Amino acid sequence: MSSPSPSRDWKALLLRHETLLLFVLIAEWLFFYFAGTSSRRGVDVGFGTLDRQFDILRHSCEIGLLALALTPVILTAGIDLSVGSLLGLCAILFGKLWHDGGLSIPVAAACAVGFGALGGGLNAALITALRLPPLIVTLGTYSLFRGLAEAITHGAVTYTNFPARFLFLGQDRWLGLPAQAWLFLVVAAAVWLLVHRTTFGRSFRAIGFSPEGARYAGLPVERRLALVYVLAGVIAAIAAIIYTARLGQAKADAGTGYELFAITAVVLGGTSIFGGTGSVHGTLLGVAAIAVLKNGLACLPSVTRLNAAEEISGVLTGALLLLALTASVFPKMLSEFRARRQTGRPRPPSPQPV
Amino acid sequence: MKSLLFRLGLMASLILAGAVRGSAADSKFVVAMLPKAKGNAYFLSCKAGADKAAKELGVELLFDGPTDSNAAKQNEIVENWITLGVDVIAVAAENKEGISTALRKAQAKGIKVIAYDADAMPDSRSFFVNQATPQGIGYALMDEAARLCGEEGEFAIITASLTASNQREWEKHIRIRLVTKYPRMKLVAVRPSDDLKDKAQSEATALMSANPNLKLLMAICSPGVPGAAEAVKQAGMTGKVKVIGLGLPNENKRYVHEGVTDSVILWNTESLGYLTVYAGVALAKGELKVGASSITAGSLGTFEITEDNIFLGKPFIFNKSNIDKFDF
Repeated sequence: MSSPSPSRDWKALLLRHETLLLFVLIAEWLFFYFAGTSSRRGVDVGFGTLDRQFDILRHSCEIGLLALALTPVILTAGIDLSVGSLLGLCAILFGKLWHDGGLSIPVAAACAVGFGALGGGLNAALITALRLPPLIVTLGTYSLFRGLAEAITHGAVTYTNFPARFLFLGQDRWLGLPAQAWLFLVVAAAVWLLVHRTTFGRSFRAIGFSPEGARYAGLPVERRLALVYVLAGVIAAIAAIIYTARLGQAKADAGTGYELFAITAVVLGGTSIFGGTGSVHGTLLGVAAIAVLKNGLACLPSVTRLNAAEEISGVLTGALLLLALTASVFPKMLSEFRARRQTGRPRPPSPQPV
Repeated sequence: MKSLLFRLGLMASLILAGAVRGSAADSKFVVAMLPKAKGNAYFLSCKAGADKAAKELGVELLFDGPTDSNAAKQNEIVENWITLGVDVIAVAAENKEGISTALRKAQAKGIKVIAYDADAMPDSRSFFVNQATPQGIGYALMDEAARLCGEEGEFAIITASLTASNQREWEKHIRIRLVTKYPRMKLVAVRPSDDLKDKAQSEATALMSANPNLKLLMAICSPGVPGAAEAVKQAGMTGKVKVIGLGLPNENKRYVHEGVTDSVILWNTESLGYLTVYAGVALAKGELKVGASSITAGSLGTFEITEDNIFLGKPFIFNKSNIDKFDF
């Protein structure tokens, strides 16, 4: 299924958004490299150290995975607010199955992924079978999953003492990179192939443009929608396992608020919140831009002295997102304004490359 | 065109960044202190003491933590300090196991680690600055509760989180004292408040309506005491349901004078922060070694050490008669 006629136009725009974002990312990185690296007693410390770079990777894997999970969802003009809560629930179930259920780590992890698929399946069923709006459905499951995680642990139990071989996944390096980064790359490649190299990916965009149009074109809209929400659940479960390995603990508050960071990364990456346009590589750039900003700020001496790196990075992430949105809408507004001046009436609206 | 712009931008950012770099070099001794939640008045008063000690010792103090009690953020902040190459990391652990992986990494990099307020795993830190033994705290709270209730009746506990290690220890000793000394008193519920005043207030309101015979609310986290007092006051139960707890004098003065809160039990938190910085710096400078039996901390004098615990001393009871003498 190919897009409507101004296809080349918005493709060029999309490309420009991602190129722009890549430039922002490089500029950001270079700035922090020079401003955030210093020397203490003859040893380089701060942003420019390899340890810091690997920490950035480690800290952004879970949010990155959730952003990957959300990209297909948002492409279909849907939303999934429940992924952060599902991460928490899967972490708890994984911990409980291993600790209380006596299952081995791989079996418990496989079960957790299964529960992730079930959680995503619940979203999918409510959205496709009952035709309820995804925002409301996942707002409900957002509370439901977190509530279940807290109920299972009575808000009190934290699963810890995981074996060192499991913690390796979250805390050590394998073939030069943090171990979880490999898992992240595999998932990223899989989602990229799905979205950009299969008919599924094209159908997500078609549904995002116009679900009715997609239905008339003979696409199994419900089945495709179900797929993206189940996939989101599965990826949230993988993120849960990585999170547990990184912190060495499974607690009911795992991943609180991560869904909002993930949505920010997806939208910053150029995927339209109205569906239809966007890309997985844009999402990856969005995740990287936010992660570098957050971690880089924490390395600036002037910011560490203020003891408010987290708060300042929140402000700047918000500003970056608004700037990116404005920048991407501006050329279109300008051309519409010109067209109106020439013809005296507005052009028919084209798909928004937001 | 695009690549030209790109190159220009790159050059501009390189020049900009180069201009900033000069200011970064620093070799001052740095102590990084991690609270459980950085807006919490309890930790802010620890910081006041820590600031004083840092000034006296001529070291730089970083004080950062999550805005809520969040173990994941605690880890990320510690990992950031490791790559910044600080000299001492002092932590109040939200979750023992969770923070300890990051602390071991810090130790492997040669950073000295000390715990205060809430301990980490013993192998992940050198010393724990113990504000009071859990037994001392638990017994003092239970004795005060029993005294106010005439050793008879129902009471409930409001805690920070059901997982925090120090809260669980205090609760254990409260229960031990209850069972061994006050058979006619009954603990009806233990509720978490997430270290938030609002949540403590709503939990207290719920506890009072669920337990009509409740005689006393005991809050064992600092935002919990004013939270419980506000709930009692609003329910018009002043005097009928008594309030005691671990908290800061300033937060509770109003309620103590209004007769809602009877006693506030605590140690001197400023001294805790002060002693933690002194101990951390002494440790990093090699003046405090494993096996030491005492440490001298500036104007506060000498503190006793047993194994790897540095003791701050006995708990203190603030009430109507003395609370105005304290300002923290």
